[in-house]
Amino acid sequence: MEVQRFGVKFFVADPPSVRLHDFIQIFHGWIQKQTVENHLLIDVHNYSHIHNGPGILLVAHEGNFSMDMADGLPGLLYCRKTPTTGTPVDHLETILKSALQACNLLEGEVRFRMDDFLLLANDRLNAPNDDECFSQLKPIVSDALERVFGHTKYTLTRHSENPKERLVVRVEQNQPRITPITRTFA
Amino acid sequence: MPTWKEKLSITMEPQLVEEIDAFESQIALRRSGKLDEKIFAETRLRRGVYGQRYDNGHRNDGVRTQELNFSSDLTKGPDTLWDAPGMQRIKIPFGGVTPDQMDTLADLAEEYSDSVLHVTTRQDFQLHYVHIDDTPNLMRRLAAVGITTREACGNSVRNVTACPLAGVCHGEVFDVTPYARATAKFLLGHPDAQGFGRKFKIAFSGCRERACGLVNMHDMGGIAVTRTENGMEKRGFELYVGGGLGAVPHDAKLFEPFLPEEELLPTAQAVARVFARLGEKKNRAAARIKFLVAKLGIEEFRRLVLEERKTMVPDPRWTGYLPEVAEFKENPLKEPVPLNGQRPEGFEKWYSTNVYRQKQAGYAVATITLPLGDLTSSQMRQLADLARSFTGDNVRTTVEQNIVLRWVSEADLPELYRELVRMGLGEPGAGTIVDVTACPGTDTCKLGIASSRGLAAEIRTRLAAKLFTLDEAVKNLHIKISGCFNSCGQHHISDLGFYGTSRTIGNRKVPHFQVVLGGKWEDNAGAYGLAIGTVPSKSIPEVIERITGRYVRDRNGNETFQEFIKRIGKQELRGMLENLMQVPAYEKDRSFYSDWGDPREFTIGDLGMGECAGEVVSAAQFDLADAERLVFEGQLHLDSGDYAQADALAYRAMIQAALSLVKTQFQSVRNDSDTVVSEFRARFYDTNILGDRYAGNKFAQYLFRRHDSPPHEHTLDHARRIVEEAQLFIEAVYACHDSLTERGSAPISIKAVGKP
Repeated sequence: MEVQRFGVKFFVADPPSVRLHDFIQIFHGWIQKQTVENHLLIDVHNYSHIHNGPGILLVAHEGNFSMDMADGLPGLLYCRKTPTTGTPVDHLETILKSALQACNLLEGEVRFRMDDFLLLANDRLNAPNDDECFSQLKPIVSDALERVFGHTKYTLTRHSENPKERLVVRVEQNQPRITPITRTFA
Repeated sequence: MPTWKEKLSITMEPQLVEEIDAFESQIALRRSGKLDEKIFAETRLRRGVYGQRYDNGHRNDGVRTQELNFSSDLTKGPDTLWDAPGMQRIKIPFGGVTPDQMDTLADLAEEYSDSVLHVTTRQDFQLHYVHIDDTPNLMRRLAAVGITTREACGNSVRNVTACPLAGVCHGEVFDVTPYARATAKFLLGHPDAQGFGRKFKIAFSGCRERACGLVNMHDMGGIAVTRTENGMEKRGFELYVGGGLGAVPHDAKLFEPFLPEEELLPTAQAVARVFARLGEKKNRAAARIKFLVAKLGIEEFRRLVLEERKTMVPDPRWTGYLPEVAEFKENPLKEPVPLNGQRPEGFEKWYSTNVYRQKQAGYAVATITLPLGDLTSSQMRQLADLARSFTGDNVRTTVEQNIVLRWVSEADLPELYRELVRMGLGEPGAGTIVDVTACPGTDTCKLGIASSRGLAAEIRTRLAAKLFTLDEAVKNLHIKISGCFNSCGQHHISDLGFYGTSRTIGNRKVPHFQVVLGGKWEDNAGAYGLAIGTVPSKSIPEVIERITGRYVRDRNGNETFQEFIKRIGKQELRGMLENLMQVPAYEKDRSFYSDWGDPREFTIGDLGMGECAGEVVSAAQFDLADAERLVFEGQLHLDSGDYAQADALAYRAMIQAALSLVKTQFQSVRNDSDTVVSEFRARFYDTNILGDRYAGNKFAQYLFRRHDSPPHEHTLDHARRIVEEAQLFIEAVYACHDSLTERGSAPISIKAVGKP
């Protein structure tokens, strides 16, 4: 599987606590300090006027971060744009760690669920949303999860079977619990 | 796994395959340093690949200017870094899109952009934050569904626009859709349309009365007309040329009251040839066709085009499409059934503003109100499915940055509305005062001065809550906002228009908007508004409250907004806004010193602020204020019909503004106009000091032209133009003065006492 453009979304644990406009200032602050490692942070874009849209977007050269509102479920979405090196598992590991780094930086503002999140293959050519690709992707995801989260057991399912949608894998921890993230993940 | 190139090669037209492959090669050439950056820049622009803000590698973060250290120094144009994200413009002739095309657009926004599609004021789509290396595949995927980005930007024929109601409108003479499509197809890549000095925009309208086509503000535009010949009705166009907004709006001139349909394409070709041959090439500020038409006069321009027409070798394409015109019709998906049954909550309000009953009984056009012209990939995909369920291929974008579904069986409207609400697209207010149009402004545009989208969002939020309690006369006004004087937000043709500018208060920059009142959206952009004054961005919502409130209170019967503005007069209107023009001290209210939706302290560039020990107002600023006063008085004389005096005052205003700058270097300069112009030219124009920010040299030419060639007769057109030009020239001088002050090279200043 040749996919480079992976994305990951960690949902906010307490959605009503999200004050979307606060993230404009927060992300501008990140740019001022160039806070996110291995990323050139460029600009902030306010999409709060769009229903269930990208919310507040932090544009970086390597990938975009957003306090995303898709499906009405706020969460930290990271979508990789530039290639990373190594195997597909390496790519996914890098992407998970980048997203977790952002989640860590948001500690104090919001908490994220680690027991239920989405991994998306943002590349319809190399990863169409079908059973075959899902089967190919599953072991890659499992390996990457193990590298990042250790031996926690997860169930992986296809989020949607609509072939027009991207291939999105729902990652659910087998024993659900809400875990505040810690810096050890990043 | 095949690449997109391989996968799509069988579904694309061979010509498109070739073009996109060629572009990919040019990317490779540029990457290897074998293609000059300027040539590559124009090449990519002609493929719709545009630069975006901060692509020069600098960005002020509110505290300091950061260098954006991309890993590569490679450029994709002068001062434009390769790796900086850019914008992809996608042409949609007459705004017509199919559900399959919508699906593809949604996919591309997700995979290459930020999952948002932006509808422009010329019926295009734009994707932002796109990497140039992704553009060939993006183009291939578009080409596979019959869309080209060719000539979406650059000095070329841009998207051909048309009324979104064409074919279903009660007032139209005939459906202009097939003519718009034929024109777009004929001129795309046409050899005679490649040598322009600037872009060339074409629009079609089905009638004179409604606004949708906006022919009056286009380089070339056709309004549908018919006449009877030998007892037969014959189709043709009232053809206009030389209109345009930009910094100084020009009314299009009537080229031909009845151009027979078979002459449309050859005449367009002849116009293109004359424009390519005689249009300005070196001075981009005067390179649009409007300047050529103004310079030659419409009679001479017409003569040249008709002469050219005679020399042209007949092309079968000129009339080859006409049999298709006769057969052209759209196929509704459902039978026409009148509105009936239960209506969901909110439906009546939505119906009152967003539904247009077609001339075909039982069918309606439903407008999808897009906030700031934006929708997500997910919404686009769902909208495509709705079109498949309700209307088939009959979807169009609009110049008001919305999307319309045509040929909806009226009985389906309640169900359609339910679905739109579910998708978050059920907002009412299409075409009302809430439906604010804005260009990208400082969000993504390199030229943006103030946040047009931020202001638009704020106005929408404030007005949406009370839309249905607003007086009817106010409810249907238009608000249009541009981030700078270049008019992409079409502020000139709006009842309440605004364009972004900046002022320096106590050595800090404050975002402002010039208030432009009384433009006319109706009658194909029937009138342009004039500037009233510059107001801090944060006070603009109050400007709207005051002006509309006064309109509601004091209008005479059915007096239109334009009539009201004219009757009240600009002097009084300015008086109404006078206290809103004030900016509180930074220490008192810092909110004025940042823009809407952007917490950074406002800046117009990467230069740092000078230290300030107090409120300092330079002599030049006083002189400039005087120049502003003169031009305002010129506007008043213009309104009263005293064109000679309007011209004289506008000219004096320019001389005064020029003098203000000259005096910063040569305090004892004589103030006769010859000396001022000569000194100004030598010190600020020839040295490019004026021109280093906001294309100031372009505006200097307004002064030189008026100084060298006073008008032989005083007409409305001339006087209006000179007043507009004076306003812009003063803006340029302000910008130059601010720039010099920042650099510490505007030495003569006086300390003001007790100034706010």
